[in-house]
Amino acid sequence: MNEALLKRYKPKEQAVLSVPETQMSLVRFSGDGQLLLTAGWDGQVHRWRLGDGEPAALPAVAGHGGWVTGLVCHPSQQMAYSADSWGKLQAWDSAAESPQAAWSVAEAHDGWIQCLAISADGKLLATCGNDGFVRVWNAADGKLVRELPRRPHPVYSVAFHPAGESLVSGDLLGKVVETNLADGQEVRTFDAGILFAVSRLQDVGGVRYLTFDRDGKTLAAAGTIPSGGGTVQGEPCILLFDWADGKQLHKVVLGPKNECYVHELILHEEGFIIAVTSGTPGSGRLTFTIPGEEKPFFVGPNTLQNCHSVALHPDGQRLVVISTSRGSNGNGRPLKDGKYLGNHSPITLMELGAA
Amino acid sequence: MKSSSLCKPWEHRLSRRQVLGGMAGAAAAGLGLGSLAQPLLAQELKKQQKQVIFVWLDGGLSQLESWDPKPGTQFGGPFRAIPTSVPGLHISELMPQMAKRMHHMALVRSLCTKDNSHSAGVARIQRGDPKNRGVTYPYFGSAVAKLLGAGDSGLPPYIWVKPGGGGFIDKDAGFLGAKYGALALGDGKPPENLLRHPSLSQRDDEERNALRRMINERYARNRRPQSNEANSYVYDMASALMQRMDLFDESKVPDSDWDRYGRTEFGRHMLIGRRFAEAGVTFVKINSYGWDTHGDNFNGHLSLVPKVDQALAAMVDDLIDRGMWDNTLLIMMSEFGRTPRINGHIGRDHWPEAWSVVMGGTGLKEGAVIGKTNEQGTWVEGDEHDIGHMFHTWFRALGIDPHRVEYDNAGQPLPIAHDDCHEIQEVLA
Repeated sequence: MNEALLKRYKPKEQAVLSVPETQMSLVRFSGDGQLLLTAGWDGQVHRWRLGDGEPAALPAVAGHGGWVTGLVCHPSQQMAYSADSWGKLQAWDSAAESPQAAWSVAEAHDGWIQCLAISADGKLLATCGNDGFVRVWNAADGKLVRELPRRPHPVYSVAFHPAGESLVSGDLLGKVVETNLADGQEVRTFDAGILFAVSRLQDVGGVRYLTFDRDGKTLAAAGTIPSGGGTVQGEPCILLFDWADGKQLHKVVLGPKNECYVHELILHEEGFIIAVTSGTPGSGRLTFTIPGEEKPFFVGPNTLQNCHSVALHPDGQRLVVISTSRGSNGNGRPLKDGKYLGNHSPITLMELGAA
Repeated sequence: MKSSSLCKPWEHRLSRRQVLGGMAGAAAAGLGLGSLAQPLLAQELKKQQKQVIFVWLDGGLSQLESWDPKPGTQFGGPFRAIPTSVPGLHISELMPQMAKRMHHMALVRSLCTKDNSHSAGVARIQRGDPKNRGVTYPYFGSAVAKLLGAGDSGLPPYIWVKPGGGGFIDKDAGFLGAKYGALALGDGKPPENLLRHPSLSQRDDEERNALRRMINERYARNRRPQSNEANSYVYDMASALMQRMDLFDESKVPDSDWDRYGRTEFGRHMLIGRRFAEAGVTFVKINSYGWDTHGDNFNGHLSLVPKVDQALAAMVDDLIDRGMWDNTLLIMMSEFGRTPRINGHIGRDHWPEAWSVVMGGTGLKEGAVIGKTNEQGTWVEGDEHDIGHMFHTWFRALGIDPHRVEYDNAGQPLPIAHDDCHEIQEVLA
């Protein structure tokens, strides 16, 4: 089966995009698959139009402060939604030449919005942040629909169940809460406490990513099993839960401690996990893994290192990964031609099964 | 400066001779003790015994996530900057408590030191990076212990509150001799086996100590005096600490103090540090480890910095409220800052090129902001300041002239701070 899957899904590089000296945290395809969008640490959303040839860069979308830390696309309309580390949430026409905000909420949260999710029907948005709040918004006009009780710790991740009745949110301490969207009541919790540890003075880890499979039968909670703070180390880990009964199905560890965090993942309809990890500079990979099997059946090349985001094209045949430029670390002053350079984030487009 | 009706620490430091002298005078004059004690207190106040509280964030606090934020720039990171009580001065949003107290503090944003490794950097910074004269210079704590002395508290002059284990750390003293080392209180607890074992009677204990002293003296006759002095000193120090076990009794600390300092390891250690400073210890160092955030720097600082912000703010408040501010030098720093460039592990590496130190209290100008970095936070614009400049400044703030006062290393005069550096005048009161 692994060989069959590998043959069908082995990725082949199509194009590598980047914006000089700009790091990115997230990558998404538009609902119609025509656009590629990335969330930048320069406070902008960068865009490319996809076609038969090389992807064509479109003007970046401004209007954010700090880092763009949340980015989702409407499943069927030309709308995109973005959130930032200064607390702003906004909506805009993703395909417009120079997009203007359809609506924006300047203080959707007090500071860093850690995650932004959209419901399967595109009607609701959910945000969570360092302020401990989870909020649900009307995607059409940006009106606040619901606010969940404040938690005493940052909430890192949020996801809608595909059936549209529930929202899950994961926090620093590894607690995943299911909330009934109709009445805002807590339904149950999932224990992902192994994704958290206290190291000296530092709270380390947390549920950094939540997602469902397409049918909503499996919930995935991801992060690291921390072994230390400071230079955080830990095994990159995905916990899979049976949505029906809440029991943990698998604990998938994707690498050694230096690989650290699972940043994002996709529960593929064929039962394997597409995940990206990032840890000690130079480590962190794109992996394809079958839950329950000891090792991934595919590990991306080491040119794809310190990977922070992954997205599957709506056609299911293309994949895009955000990684980090090589040699990204170093103490002191590494100068090139007398200039102190920042890192950038290669955006690698791949075709699946074309190898 | 806010006045306080509370008594001051140096008011408790009258020497036995002064007390006896006062009592004799009182008896001779037929007056109560209180009326004659006042002149003695006034004299004591004049002396203004200086103290230092030195907070060390081991591994490297990011200047960009604390004292010198650059929001909205290439290397600025995700956090916002917030205004402070000093008009025009902004610091990271992770430090809301200190933001309200920056009018008490002095901030130097132009540190440019030379070493980007921990192993060399910690010692280099804490020794003040003097010129190489073939000797090992003392850490700042040992230097202050030597130059200011122990005062009259009867307590060791250099106490180090730190996570992990404790013990007597003589390496800090360098050429000054082991006597000026640090007494490290691991997790703020008293040294192990400090108290006399219950099975040992006081008389037996005294006899043992007498025997020890006799053997020590015999052993020391043909040896360098420093080693024996240090050995005896440790015993004397233990004896002094045994008299102040109340300082370790945390049950007497009000709940409100724990709340203000934060119920964290660091908050607790800062509170213990304050108690030792109150008791008159000349130099109190408080350590926090785990600041080497090469990975997950921003979530790391999100967790770490507010805990330090809370405890440091409580310390400032207490030093002011207790009337100690004008006699205490409070410093918080690391061995370097962190790189503007953000690595693939979303971390920042070591950066000695342009970073910050915050301080306050005796001899310093309140609300001063000295030096600046460029828009990107990569380099210092204008005058750079090395750790030697800071040593000059701190000594001067403590009333010690670094150009005139010298160490005497067995007849060899040695400067107490780097000869080529000077104090930063703009930060001195």
